[in-house]
Amino acid sequence: MILNGAAHALAAAGAVFVIIGTIGILRFRDVYSRLQASGVSDNAGLGLILIALVVFAGWQASDWRLLLLLLLLLVTNPIATHSIAKSAFTSRHPGTEDRS
Amino acid sequence: MLVVEIAVAASLVVVLWRLFRGPTAWDRLLAYNAVSNRGILLLALVGIAEGRTVLLDVALVYGMLSFLGVVIVSQFLERGVRRS
Repeated sequence: MILNGAAHALAAAGAVFVIIGTIGILRFRDVYSRLQASGVSDNAGLGLILIALVVFAGWQASDWRLLLLLLLLLVTNPIATHSIAKSAFTSRHPGTEDRS
Repeated sequence: MLVVEIAVAASLVVVLWRLFRGPTAWDRLLAYNAVSNRGILLLALVGIAEGRTVLLDVALVYGMLSFLGVVIVSQFLERGVRRS
């Protein structure tokens, strides 16, 4: 019962992170700001929801595949984000200037 | 769990708008990365919730392939077409 409640709380927190990342991708002005929103909050949301699924399903149901999926995403997602940012930066894509 | 599935599916559909609209190619690439992340998440959620653990294998393979696609396309955008 306690594990079930913890799994639901973790999944709700992850869904909040995913929705925040979606709003960031939609509303920011610049490629680099959108990359920051997408990369950071997607990693947090994916990690929280996959840990919630591990807690929810137990060890027998998924036999390490969920943890393998979590490890794969935590390794490859920052590499993909860094590669997009490096590609945009070395192609001299201008960001929007600060108007503060 | 059903609420989380609906939230992730709705955010997938919303991010598709950035994929179609995006001003530059990097915007589209970033939106493709975000869409494939949400798709992997949706596959894992449905696979656990309905007890079909085959979908977890599909999510693993899809994760590897979408990572390869994003890295290859961003390297291509960085270096351009190399004339031999």
